[in-house]
Amino acid sequence: MAGLLIILFGTTILYLFAAGRIESFVRTLALQGFLLFLLVVIDVGEISFLNIAFLVLETLVVKTVVIPFFLLRVIRRNEIGREVDPRRPQFFRLILAVAIFMFGFLTAFWAARTGSIGQPLYFGMSISMIIASLFLIVQRRRIIIHILAYMTLENGIFLLSLSVAHEMPLLINLGVLLDLFVGVFLLAIFFNTIQDLYDRGTIDVLTKLKD
Amino acid sequence: MILLLLLVPSALGGIAWAVGRRPITRAVLLGAAAFELGAVAAAWAGMDFGGAAGSYLGLDSIGLVFLTIMALVFAGAALAVPGFFQESGASPRKEAVFVAELLVFLAAMTGVILARHLALLWVFVEATTLSSALLIYSEKKKSSLEAAWKYVFICSVGIALAFVGIILLSIGSRSVDSLLFSDLAARAGEINPFWLKLAFAFILVGFGTKMGVAPIHAWLPDAHAEAPSPVSALLSGALLNASFLGIARVQDIMVKAGLGAFSNTLLIVCGFLSLLVAAAYLLQVVNYKRMLAYSSIENMGILCLGLAFGPPGLFAALLHSAAHSLSKAAMFLTSGNILGLYGSKAIGDVRGLIVREPRTGWIWIVSFLAVAGFPPFPAFISKFLLIQVFFAAGSGWMAGPFLALIAVIVFGLGSAVFKMAFGDPPEAVPASALSWKPDVSAVVPQIVFLLILLGLGLSLPETVRSVLRTAAGLGG
Repeated sequence: MAGLLIILFGTTILYLFAAGRIESFVRTLALQGFLLFLLVVIDVGEISFLNIAFLVLETLVVKTVVIPFFLLRVIRRNEIGREVDPRRPQFFRLILAVAIFMFGFLTAFWAARTGSIGQPLYFGMSISMIIASLFLIVQRRRIIIHILAYMTLENGIFLLSLSVAHEMPLLINLGVLLDLFVGVFLLAIFFNTIQDLYDRGTIDVLTKLKD
Repeated sequence: MILLLLLVPSALGGIAWAVGRRPITRAVLLGAAAFELGAVAAAWAGMDFGGAAGSYLGLDSIGLVFLTIMALVFAGAALAVPGFFQESGASPRKEAVFVAELLVFLAAMTGVILARHLALLWVFVEATTLSSALLIYSEKKKSSLEAAWKYVFICSVGIALAFVGIILLSIGSRSVDSLLFSDLAARAGEINPFWLKLAFAFILVGFGTKMGVAPIHAWLPDAHAEAPSPVSALLSGALLNASFLGIARVQDIMVKAGLGAFSNTLLIVCGFLSLLVAAAYLLQVVNYKRMLAYSSIENMGILCLGLAFGPPGLFAALLHSAAHSLSKAAMFLTSGNILGLYGSKAIGDVRGLIVREPRTGWIWIVSFLAVAGFPPFPAFISKFLLIQVFFAAGSGWMAGPFLALIAVIVFGLGSAVFKMAFGDPPEAVPASALSWKPDVSAVVPQIVFLLILLGLGLSLPETVRSVLRTAAGLGG
């Protein structure tokens, strides 16, 4: 069951690369949050009640509801609908996504053979999600996509941290979540300001500072 | 007790934010600076701040070195803040918010220095990014928005990769089952070398982004140039050091695990790349604040090189970090005065500083001598020690490229500094700049920093030497 969920999580990479509308990108983000929530409920072994409660709060409330909802509001406020990127055909994007997805499986296979990782599938899929997010950040010019890809990067890292059997102290988890939370809000505030000042939210406007 | 170091600045920041009246804001800021200096003085006098082995926070020798540097730089920046607001004519409310952000930033940096747990250190490093982002954007211009965006985004992604490193480290250290630095260092031999190496690479990229070493330095010149000068001084003089401390703590684990050769290679590559990038850009830079930022990249490279050469190298790096932080803070604070006097950040627009405002002009020149490492300033001693360490470790050939790059950098910096200081002042200066004059608080911190450096350079006091030796792992 957990394996299926992780593979579902991995397939969201395909969707992220193919998505044409930015709102569907955000829905994928919420779906990822929900999959992570299910994984926490099904698969996390012996950890304290407080920690479980925290993880449920983090995945179900923050990752599935609060952050996607907040980002949707930012998107509607700025009236961004479609991600138009004429320079790269969708076919090319999908090939890339499939390649990264395959890489995730290969990594999982390799990690299983080395034997030092308890749950190779977690490892493989989270690494490919991290790589996919970095690709999105480097490739796309829309700033809002950068924020969304930062969130999927965080989701990939979260999956990776679930694969570590022993628990992080609760205090640390709280700190990590707080940082993530503030980070997303801050990025969104800056994004709103960029959109207001330039009336265009792509990185092409951010080229004033250079040597 | 140790928690006070975190709570007092945060609480004072809260007060400044809640009250929002100018006299209170300024009193709070100076109070925080005095508290930091007092705490550091107490620590030097041997006061125990608590934090037994196994706790998450604690103050060790290397932490004390960086806490001291931070307290001094912060005090200097705090004195410069009122002048900065006079210059910009902002409302009391704006000043209060700025000071509150500054104090939260201070608390976050203190957290990085005190953290004894790898993941907690990560949390605080991320907190420094978030608390300083708004400070960089405080002038609310398009260019500062661009700088703040690049800063938050690049550092957040970098820091996320550092967290991947931390997770990889905990995969490799299942038998240790703890991320306290003391446990990891004591049982470094049990950590799986493959995962530890991978973890170090990720952590170096993550904290290295924050520290501004090449090739992951992209945010640094923008943020330093666009932030208000007191903030630039803090970024360069305190934040970069705190990130260096994070790398140094993980490097300690690498050495104890017998993987020093791997991490040293990475550090040396980053170190020389930083020198190279700084040298290349310093020859053509046109903005004097960006020039100072590139010089910071150079000095972070020197710290990385020192860290790669064991305890004697770390001793040189720590001394260098003190030398760089105080002199660079002096230069950044002075750059604020120059901006007030000329109304431009372009090197070409500034001429005849010595004639226009002799105090500022001379401070500018002397701080340059201190940054560049002319004797008797301590940056000379630290670079000299580093070259000695190269030869002692059998890597004497490194002294060649090291000295050559330093020479280019000093030439680049020096030609700009002297062009700005001498010559005839330009006739066309913005009207707002003509009436502005730096008051005493805009020159005293720099003079104090330079006097401290002069003292350290002429004779390093025995207590300082012994703390530096303990911090570097050479034994008291």
